[in-house]
Amino acid sequence: MSTTEDSKKMAKPKAPRKKAAAACKTTARRKTAARKKAPEKPQSVLIVGAGFAGLGMAIRLKQAGIEDFIILERGNAVGGTWRDNQYPGAACDIPSNLYSYSFAPNPNWSRSFSGSEEILDYVHHLVAEFGLEKHIRFEQNVAELRFDETKGIWTATTDKDVVFTGRAAVMAQGPLANCSFPAITGIEDFKGKKIHSARWDHDYDFSGKNVAVVGTGASGIQIIPELVKVAKHVKVFQRTPGWVMPRPDFSTPEWNKLLFRKVPASQQAMRELLYWSHESMALAVIWNSPLTRIAERIGKWHLRRQVKDRWLRRQLTPDFTIGCKRVLVSNDYYPALQKDNAKLITWPIARISEEGIRTVEGIEHQVDCIVFATGFDVSHSGTPFPVLGRGGRVMGDDWKGGAQAYKSINVSGYPNLFLTFGPNSGPGHNSALVYMESQLEYALKGIRKIVGEDLKVLDVREDAQQRFNKGIQKRLAKTNWNSGCKSWYLTEDGFNATMYPGFATQYAAQMSEFKEEDYQTA
Amino acid sequence: MASIDLDKMLAKIKSTQWALSDIDWDAPGAELITEEQWPKLKEFMADLMWIEHVGARAFAALAKKAPTDTLREIYSYFHAEEQRHANAEMALMRRWGMLEGDEIPEPNVNLRIIIEWLDRFADEMPVYVLGTVVPMLEIALDGALCTFLLETVKDPVCHQAFEKINDDESRHLGVGFTVMEMQGRSASYIKMVQMMARVMDPRLILGIASYMPLLNKMRDNVIAMGLPEEKLYKAMQKFERIGGRTEEGRRNPWFQLIKQHGRWVTNRSNKVYHVPVDALVKITGMVPRKALPAVPSWVKELTYEPTATR
Ligand SMILES: Cc1cc2nc3c(=O)[nH]c(=O)nc-3n(C[C@H](O)[C@H](O)[C@H](O)COP(=O)(O)OP(=O)(O)OC[C@H]3O[C@@H](n4cnc5c(N)ncnc54)[C@H](O)[C@@H]3O)c2cc1C
Ligand SMILES: [Fe+2]
Ligand SMILES: [Fe+2]
Repeated sequence: MSTTEDSKKMAKPKAPRKKAAAACKTTARRKTAARKKAPEKPQSVLIVGAGFAGLGMAIRLKQAGIEDFIILERGNAVGGTWRDNQYPGAACDIPSNLYSYSFAPNPNWSRSFSGSEEILDYVHHLVAEFGLEKHIRFEQNVAELRFDETKGIWTATTDKDVVFTGRAAVMAQGPLANCSFPAITGIEDFKGKKIHSARWDHDYDFSGKNVAVVGTGASGIQIIPELVKVAKHVKVFQRTPGWVMPRPDFSTPEWNKLLFRKVPASQQAMRELLYWSHESMALAVIWNSPLTRIAERIGKWHLRRQVKDRWLRRQLTPDFTIGCKRVLVSNDYYPALQKDNAKLITWPIARISEEGIRTVEGIEHQVDCIVFATGFDVSHSGTPFPVLGRGGRVMGDDWKGGAQAYKSINVSGYPNLFLTFGPNSGPGHNSALVYMESQLEYALKGIRKIVGEDLKVLDVREDAQQRFNKGIQKRLAKTNWNSGCKSWYLTEDGFNATMYPGFATQYAAQMSEFKEEDYQTA
Repeated sequence: MASIDLDKMLAKIKSTQWALSDIDWDAPGAELITEEQWPKLKEFMADLMWIEHVGARAFAALAKKAPTDTLREIYSYFHAEEQRHANAEMALMRRWGMLEGDEIPEPNVNLRIIIEWLDRFADEMPVYVLGTVVPMLEIALDGALCTFLLETVKDPVCHQAFEKINDDESRHLGVGFTVMEMQGRSASYIKMVQMMARVMDPRLILGIASYMPLLNKMRDNVIAMGLPEEKLYKAMQKFERIGGRTEEGRRNPWFQLIKQHGRWVTNRSNKVYHVPVDALVKITGMVPRKALPAVPSWVKELTYEPTATR
């Protein structure tokens, strides 16, 4: 899999989806060849990535009257997560009315939890409605961002040595955009078909096939019920069982869509309702509270109701506090596992062989295809490509001991740069886009200041950043994520650079204020 | 011998995995089983297979309860390895024509009772209890029985399989004793009191009531097979020797308890112990199979086939 394999077509609002996925392995390397000169005068803003974050930033810039910006996107279509995750059953697990932008509501969601295709349609609709197409440069894989202090300019260089410049830069390359096959011994020996959930192969026909699914996280539990419907036999390889909650999924009746279209305030009210109900979940998910026990009881009830066999239930019972890892939602995962043509395997994997997967109980499970729903490459202490700030300092080096930022969005020493989904911005219980909106507003304030006051440097002060992080880590220590279980939220040493320890409302409050005294300007 | 480094042990475990398909189950040598041996061997193998399961189920419980991530992962490997032993032993039985169709061999009633107990209560037992009983069972039953098997059976495939099984077992014991020492290190008066409270726990009493006749029953089986019972006792004394080699190990109250019990078992003249326990063996031997609850579903996972497509 590589970027060159992807279709060369420019993205139309309806690009052919199966070909649109970007490369699975994506660490772009800059060639040493002489750089091309920056073609135009610097943009006001450079945005890296055309997913929800990058496009949302673009919309807010336009709405604020800033037109000279470009979006650099390594793929050949927009949509990020939702362009790449087109596996069968892919859907959001936060209700669509909340998992969308409040500044671009969609009255037509067909279900409470929309599928990947519908979400991608919404993204395409955003691009068309706000005229973003002309701002996007496709197939530009950013390999380096570098700040020139004297000019106050950010330069993005792609892996093909194309250069773009801007006065401010927004990193929106996605928290879960890179994936790779797991490093299981023997994976190269396997002669059958290998598919990663985030790079689905729509041409592969599963009917009549014996299939293995490795991984039972958010993607795995969505794929498995769909595969069980078509494949001859599905073996599910689980390492740790997660908490699975029932999912209140309904199709939206026509009158409801009509109501949302005619009375937008009614949709706003619905969004508020969903927002507050998710906020209340923070009490169960983020901190260990009586509500945590109640949530766990709901999870256990769901399991008991759907799984009658004592041993299978034991295999599926999580042994960590709910919320410590992402909470899963599904109504059809447990039933699918109990179909005649499905089987849950909890033996550790010893290796992959030519014909299948060998587990420690000594048996080789032979399959035609292995689906890896093993998640994403997340870095807690590095950046996906080198980012060079004042005096040539490298963000990856500054982050050796764990990523740190000010309010998740600025990093001291890297002026005029705004991160989306930066350190400690992760939502455990609410829509990522709710968090995103406050980040976009904040970035907009900063960008307006840079452009409006013609600043070369808007840099957060080191001491302000340190003060902020002291507070955050103190609050994190009291959360379920730091309660002793391993998850992708934590570094190997257990440092949490991912999650925000509080309500979305608190996060929004944190982001609503732009404290000028915390910044140094020039 | 100092305690082992558990992280290194886990890495070692991961790098030394074997599979049923590493062995050619159709290689010549099966004919070396004598006609006289055959019926006893069949019963012996069936029990052995089930003893693997006792270890397996206990490790499964430990995999959920162990105090560190590393130990939990080690135990989840051990759980699977015991299943592998049972699978390999079933493959041997098949090779020797001891399986009728796909049927899983029946265990003796004492084993059935202990498996039933483990399945019901093991997950609720404290790590201390399981962590000490398991090494004893492994040494006494697994260890002694395997050595014995290799002394009497000439089939090279059997030797090949048990070489691999014994390698696994030596790691199980290494970890077992290390954990016992870890527990001894933190032993205190309070722990002692907690332990005594545990002993009063009716679930544990049930467990003890099934564990004691199991050992005596296995002793009878061993004798029936023509093995001098001293061999079994020697193995059990090994538990006392290795488990008590350090101060920490000796300080583990559970070690003291199991060790004492081992002494009773190996002392035939201790009538106070053996008369009632032998009676229990007799009684349980009369329990009709139908009276026992259905086997837990994990039992059905056993297979002698090195590869599976379903
Ligand atoms: C299967 C799945 C389900 C999810 N469900 C939910 C949910 O229900 N609710 C929720 O709140 N969140 C959910 N998420 C999280 C989701 O990732 C975010 O909600 C959101 O879509 C992220 O948007 P983004 O724009 O930040 O990143 P992305 O959507 O990943 O977009 C990043 C873009 O940047 C491009 N890019 C990356 N690197 C470079 C580079 N070097 N140069 C140029 N371009 C680059 C990528 O190609 C991509 O197009 C889900 C994630 C997954 C994977
Ligand atoms: Fe064993
Ligand atoms: Fe063992």
